[in-house]
Amino acid sequence: MIGSSLDPRSKLIALLAATCILMTFHGWLELAIAFGILIMVILLLRLGLAWLGLLKGLGFAAFTFFIIAGLAFDLVTAIMAALRLLTIGTAFFLFFQTTSPEALSNALIKMGAPYPFVFVLTASMQFVHVLIRRVISIRDAQRARGIPVESGLRAFRYFPALAGPLLIQAFHLADELAEAMEARGFGVPGRRFRYEPLLTLFDWAIIVVSAGAAVIVILI
Amino acid sequence: MTLRFENVSYRYPGTDAWAIHDLDLTIHPDESVLVAGASGSGKSTLCRASIGLVPHFHQGQFMGRVLLEGLDTRQHPVYQLFRHAGLVFQNPDAQLFNHSVEAELAYGLESLGLSSFDIEERLARVEKLLGLESLIKRSPHTLSGGEKQRVALAAILALRPRILLLDEPFTHLDPEGAEELRTTLRLIRSEGIALIIVEHRLHEIITDVDRLIVLHQGERKIDGSPHAVLSRDTSPYGLNLPPLVRLFRALGWGKTPFTIEEAVREIDANHLSPQALLNFQEQNSIVVGSPPSTLGPVVEAEDLWFHYKDRPVLRGVDLKLGQGECVALIGRNGAGKTTLAKHLNGLLKPDRGSLKVLGQDTRRTSVSKLARHVGFAWQNPNDQLFRTSVREEVLTGPRVLQAYDPGWCNRLFERLGLTPLLDRSPFSLSEGQKKRVSFAAALAPQPGLIIFDEPTAGQDDPFRRELAELIHELQRDGRTVILVSHDLEFAARHASRWLILAEGQIIADGSPDAVMANHTAMAKGGLRPTQRFQLIQALKETRKEGKIDRVLP
Repeated sequence: MIGSSLDPRSKLIALLAATCILMTFHGWLELAIAFGILIMVILLLRLGLAWLGLLKGLGFAAFTFFIIAGLAFDLVTAIMAALRLLTIGTAFFLFFQTTSPEALSNALIKMGAPYPFVFVLTASMQFVHVLIRRVISIRDAQRARGIPVESGLRAFRYFPALAGPLLIQAFHLADELAEAMEARGFGVPGRRFRYEPLLTLFDWAIIVVSAGAAVIVILI
Repeated sequence: MTLRFENVSYRYPGTDAWAIHDLDLTIHPDESVLVAGASGSGKSTLCRASIGLVPHFHQGQFMGRVLLEGLDTRQHPVYQLFRHAGLVFQNPDAQLFNHSVEAELAYGLESLGLSSFDIEERLARVEKLLGLESLIKRSPHTLSGGEKQRVALAAILALRPRILLLDEPFTHLDPEGAEELRTTLRLIRSEGIALIIVEHRLHEIITDVDRLIVLHQGERKIDGSPHAVLSRDTSPYGLNLPPLVRLFRALGWGKTPFTIEEAVREIDANHLSPQALLNFQEQNSIVVGSPPSTLGPVVEAEDLWFHYKDRPVLRGVDLKLGQGECVALIGRNGAGKTTLAKHLNGLLKPDRGSLKVLGQDTRRTSVSKLARHVGFAWQNPNDQLFRTSVREEVLTGPRVLQAYDPGWCNRLFERLGLTPLLDRSPFSLSEGQKKRVSFAAALAPQPGLIIFDEPTAGQDDPFRRELAELIHELQRDGRTVILVSHDLEFAARHASRWLILAEGQIIADGSPDAVMANHTAMAKGGLRPTQRFQLIQALKETRKEGKIDRVLP
């Protein structure tokens, strides 16, 4: 995560505009240029290594899209499908790498989203790490007593040995989490925020340019 | 008056038993109170009722009245009560829900509606108080267990509550972490905050509290100064007594010392016989099933190395364990104890060196094959429960491993008190019962080596006694037992051999007394000798100095 001087609201509008634009591109060249620009931004922000980490998953998904579209349609469509997924995925990656969950939730609240919904959404992002650790512990506990949960057909049969404890613990953790949030004033009316997001002139310029560009591209 | 319970009874939805029953008590400002009792005695419910989570969050049937700073908790929502009393929950993972430590600390302050200036001022103060400066930008999920607990405590302290409640804060801490927490609690107390601490491990905090309340089946059974309470018969309440109190009781001495100084003073002042204590210690130092190493090694490790993300976690471990030994693996959190234990059943494979368990090279043997010979009872039994009945839960492992012996399993059910529970869902059991199910599941394939990971964490005295008996029976059967534990008092009484692991290396190996006498290794492992050992040493020193003759009968 790196800091950013832009207001999350302007970044969010720019992201949505970029997604619309990328969805409307009909040529592989436009997509390739957009992808190139995004890669330059990533390099400029020194996020190359993190992006390569993302590419493990995103690259696999893009490759799958490429194969399916290639088999169903033609090579150009396949290239465009893969490039579209890569560019949109990379745009979202840039947004989340430069926007903390706290800043995002504050921005969403400022945009009128209800606080309980926004907070639970961002808090659940923290919860993912806890659940990943639990999955590893559960897998180890079951393997240690001989239950084959790692691979193969037998693992499929014993899937409940992984899913059962995980679900039960996830519900339990969610309950504990809700209790802990209540105990720190989650439901209080009139909450104030440590950082109040502030739209600068530059933010307004980004909002106008990106929204304008999206409208023009869609109309054309 | 800070907190008052007026004839409070409460039961959770869908249950018949009262979690707390006709509870009447007052906690005064500046008081420091320890709440003790067996599992299910209502300690955690008391905490929740104090801040209004019971009944607002949990619903259920509530009778009587709780007054927090004069506010009736039934009449005020939790978000009005939280500024008066803060609760640090047992599980730090489930109370850190922000993306950074800083945001975590600020969350409650935002709830209070403070200005940015006030938030910054309070953040700076609490950061300094708990030494969180270096952690402030980190994400909570990257912290160690002790660090998470400090952050959870800081997040509550930032609210400046009049009462601070802590639910089993010492459960997951190593001895150094426990010492740090004690220091912090003393600091908090000096700020005039009333403390209510719920804890099974009484000795961890008993010297720092003014009052001890014993709960049993939701009722307040004894209440008074710690010495006065522990002078009485507490045997029906399942308390895990402080080691010196336990020792004095075993010797029939009616005193309740909490520290070595107090014990020596009592022995001196009351003309008690130190020799009787030394004899008692000698008689009890022979642990059942001491190493019959001539029976051949169960574990042979040579120059074992293991790295996690390029960080060496095990560094050249050499180890031999014999049949029938009970070995305690001790050391601070992150020293490599669990990593070493996971090598023994093949969950982890060494990067370098060799490891043979019951003659099988773990690098070339699958986990499922090793599972037939190595049983692993995990700290959290909930990690393995997935069947609809206790019977199926326990028998799944042996059936998969084709090692099902009905006679052995029936004996196991009987031995662990599971026979009446066999058709019940494992999810409906208490935590202690779940632990017993996990022990049965680990023992069902009749393993030659059994590893218990923090088996006493959060457990009451009856459970600890049962576990001790089970360990001794396993040893008598010729099975090797490994205890991975921070509970040195338990390890000293039931393990015949201690191994200290520090920074991935075994730095001490020997009988508990020999290891505790190795001051350098104990300090490097972040450990302190047990109180019983310290007392014996103090008495021996006294005898050397010739003072002991004065008090000898």
